[in-house]
Amino acid sequence: MVKKNPLRKRYLRELKGEFSKYLIIFLLMTFSVGLLSGYLVADESMLKTYDESFEKYNIENGNFTAKKQVSPEQKELIEENGIKIYEQFYLEKPLTNGSRIRLFSPRKEVNLVCLMQGAMPSAPDEAAIDRMYANNNGLKIGDYLTIDEEGGATYRITGLVALSDYSTLFENNNDMMFDALKFGVGIITDTAISAYPARELTFNYAWKYLEFPKDDMEEKAVSDELIKKLAKIIRLEDFVPGYLNQAIHFSGEDLEGDGVMMIALIYIIIVILAFVFAVNMTSTIAKEAPVIGTLLATGYTRGQLLLHYMLLPIMVSMAGAAIGNVLGYTWLKDLCAALYYNSYSLPTYETVWSAYAFFMTTFVPLVIMLAVNTVILGRGLRHTPIQFLRRDFHAKKKKKAVRLSPNIPFITRFKLRVVFQNVPNYLILFAGVLFADLLLLFGMGMPNLMNNYQTKITDSLFANYQYVLSAPVSYAGEDENKLDEIIKGLRFAKAVETENPDAEKFSAWSLRTLGDYARTEDITLYGIEGGSRYVKGDFADGEIIISASMAEKYRIGAGDTFTLKEAYEDKYYTLEISGINDYESAVAVFMNRQTLNEMFDQDPDFFCGYFSDTKITDIDESYIGSIIDIDAMTKVPRQLMHSMGGLMDIVNVFAIVIFLIVIYFLIKIIIEKNEHSISMAKILGYSEKEIRSIYLHSTSAVMIVLIIISVPIIMLVLKQLFYMVMLEMMSGWLPLVIDSKLCYITMLLGFASYVLVTFVEMRKIRKIPMDMALKNVE
Amino acid sequence: MFLELQQIKKSFGDENNRVEVLNGVDLSVKKGEFVVFLGPSGSGKSTLLNIIGGIDRADSGKMYADGKCVSEMRERELGQYRRKNLGYVFQMYNLIPNLTVRENIEVGAYLGENTLDTDGILSVLGLKEHADKLPNQLSGGQQQRTSIGRAVVKNPGLLLCDEPTGALDYSTSREILKTIEAVNQKYGCTILMVTHNEAIGRIADRVISLRDGVIHKNIANENKISARELEW
Repeated sequence: MVKKNPLRKRYLRELKGEFSKYLIIFLLMTFSVGLLSGYLVADESMLKTYDESFEKYNIENGNFTAKKQVSPEQKELIEENGIKIYEQFYLEKPLTNGSRIRLFSPRKEVNLVCLMQGAMPSAPDEAAIDRMYANNNGLKIGDYLTIDEEGGATYRITGLVALSDYSTLFENNNDMMFDALKFGVGIITDTAISAYPARELTFNYAWKYLEFPKDDMEEKAVSDELIKKLAKIIRLEDFVPGYLNQAIHFSGEDLEGDGVMMIALIYIIIVILAFVFAVNMTSTIAKEAPVIGTLLATGYTRGQLLLHYMLLPIMVSMAGAAIGNVLGYTWLKDLCAALYYNSYSLPTYETVWSAYAFFMTTFVPLVIMLAVNTVILGRGLRHTPIQFLRRDFHAKKKKKAVRLSPNIPFITRFKLRVVFQNVPNYLILFAGVLFADLLLLFGMGMPNLMNNYQTKITDSLFANYQYVLSAPVSYAGEDENKLDEIIKGLRFAKAVETENPDAEKFSAWSLRTLGDYARTEDITLYGIEGGSRYVKGDFADGEIIISASMAEKYRIGAGDTFTLKEAYEDKYYTLEISGINDYESAVAVFMNRQTLNEMFDQDPDFFCGYFSDTKITDIDESYIGSIIDIDAMTKVPRQLMHSMGGLMDIVNVFAIVIFLIVIYFLIKIIIEKNEHSISMAKILGYSEKEIRSIYLHSTSAVMIVLIIISVPIIMLVLKQLFYMVMLEMMSGWLPLVIDSKLCYITMLLGFASYVLVTFVEMRKIRKIPMDMALKNVE
Repeated sequence: MFLELQQIKKSFGDENNRVEVLNGVDLSVKKGEFVVFLGPSGSGKSTLLNIIGGIDRADSGKMYADGKCVSEMRERELGQYRRKNLGYVFQMYNLIPNLTVRENIEVGAYLGENTLDTDGILSVLGLKEHADKLPNQLSGGQQQRTSIGRAVVKNPGLLLCDEPTGALDYSTSREILKTIEAVNQKYGCTILMVTHNEAIGRIADRVISLRDGVIHKNIANENKISARELEW
């Protein structure tokens, strides 16, 4: 019969005796693993749902808008180009709630709709609307939508839906950012649609390739060819090939890129947790040294004891990981999915069992726990039995005391000794404080960053309105990228001339970065009029000026060269930078109009938009691709805050929990390490106040120093991290500005956490009995 | 009388399993007296010392020290009593491991009002050259001398020694007893010492034997010898 190790009987007693410690570890582990598991499961499930939605909902390969309804003959001609087209007419109307809605006729074959709640409309006065748009505008089933125009119809909401071709609510494919607050989509019945006159409808058609191009390059070539052919058959108003459709692809790209940060965040927490646990257990080992010495002397092996001391932390971690996974797959998964549903109109997801998520949330945290504990506890148990029996852990190398002048007041020296004794603990504390600072500054700084960005945008906008002209796509030229649509349209110069005296022409071109060390992004190159009243600076012929944001993002300046390329062609442009202007709202390049037009082989008179401080009213709307005004520019910060606001709250709570836990454990360790001395001090007649002053206030002083120095250190780290994130994960540039007030708040929260913990730990000092020193355990 | 105990009783355990450790102890000690308590394990001598030292309370009975009723003092007053009047020497030294020898002695000095000179104590105890060492760099005898230094530096009226030689070898034990005797003579403090070693009673002014929680014998030592002469 295999004998069971009698030491196992201690586990339950240890668990009872140190219940609060294990409970905290368990809760933090459960919450961390749960959050990571929930996040990964939600992310994977949504990504799978998103990927599958292309087939499940038969998502289009592109869409175009015709001036008039396509006739059966035209349809036949169009479909001779290797595509099949499907009607998806819509009307777009302002609503009385101040937003705009695009109402489609029911989809029957392509871009199918996912009904998430309620029912699809069955009567002409009913509508099913996008779930996220409804949430953002406080609309629910049974409420009414009223079109904000004279005699405007009213629709009763019967259902909440996700349109598979609008997983991200981009109103216009040229928009910098989507706006799920002010723009929504929905479905009304065919009868309801047909009640509107043709002039109010948009004749939009989705297409599917009969044979799908093998890659982006081929897809571009095919769609470039297609636009030319379509333009010959019908009068095109808009043309969006699938690969360029932000409303379809934006959410998928975002889903793919978010995981790394979350994984890093949770693993850092687990490493800190493992260290705190191991150091705590080391102090237990020190406390039980004579017992360990006796056990080793009687034949127990070091391995058995290592296992004994590690088993409970590992079991608690395993329990935390198991319950965390259960929570992750149930409650937290929905919480994390809600963050995505807050930003994207994704269809209902089905939870997928993810082996990857299980590996990352259970196996890896346990390995971290096991590795850290094995190394630290292994070191703690490396002494000989006699060293344990004598509590003589420095037999080979007697530790010398740091010399302190007797002229220093005794209590000060005493406190300094406590500080010296706990340097390793303070280092862990510092790591925890740094991490909590990082989270807090990130969590609190994000809204600050957005506000600052919004102010900067408002301050640095060239003009109140920036009109980007859109040539009717029926005049799409021979080749080039989507900006060509704008460029070619300018041949209709007469149609896009304005009498507005405030209007100033500019030309523009879009090129893509090479993505050698950063995420690729499209950069707009502006050709500015000489003596421009809107864009400051003299732009001499051949001179290239970059925006301050571009200089900051790519760390380039005057005299440097920078290479860009055409998005879908192997055509490269190396720009020699002459200077930097103070434009901070976008990553952009400026030169005079003539230089830009020459660079891209355009006519000297070529232009593609206007800057203007007043509205231009004499150009037909069909020639205006987009209007960039304050509202459009501030969509980015608004939407980011809307999408990430919930996450920031979680980050802040996490930060404070980390503050509390790290401080709690390390003060606990410091007190436990000294409880014998504290007991003796009580016997000698030291008052509690004096004992607190020696053992807690010494740590308070260190804590104050750590918190103060941690903030500037973490600001440097945050700057570097932010820079890397911006470079690798985002297009555009947000200048990192963190209000110094937030640094003080971070420090204050650190102190407050410390004071709270100290308050709790004072009880522990009070509870240390005097007879502890009387027991012969020295 | 410097110290007076009247009918001190103390028991441990619950109602079903009560052990009477002290069962009505009456005792008077004069100022400057050196008293040794002897008795087998469980006789109540350490409990008695703890009650005298104000780190444990009697269930009943009264105790007066220097005219003040210690048994009626509240926790805070007991703390002050220990702080002003007592020095403690334990079998296991109880030095603060992260303080040097000098600083451990200063732990005691910090509490007193008419403290002795720390350097003087270090010299008297033969610890001067070890003043900057940590306890784990010292031998058992040196550690016990440091603990005596910590106890006497605040010039206490009462020095309580609980088995001060219990963990030491013969010659070191003799050195420690010489030190305690010297402290008694040089500083005039009253010494109460608990020990198993009957021979130590020969250097005391009085020897009190405890048995089953009561004083069995209370004998003034007519043939007191100096610690230097002591052998066992």
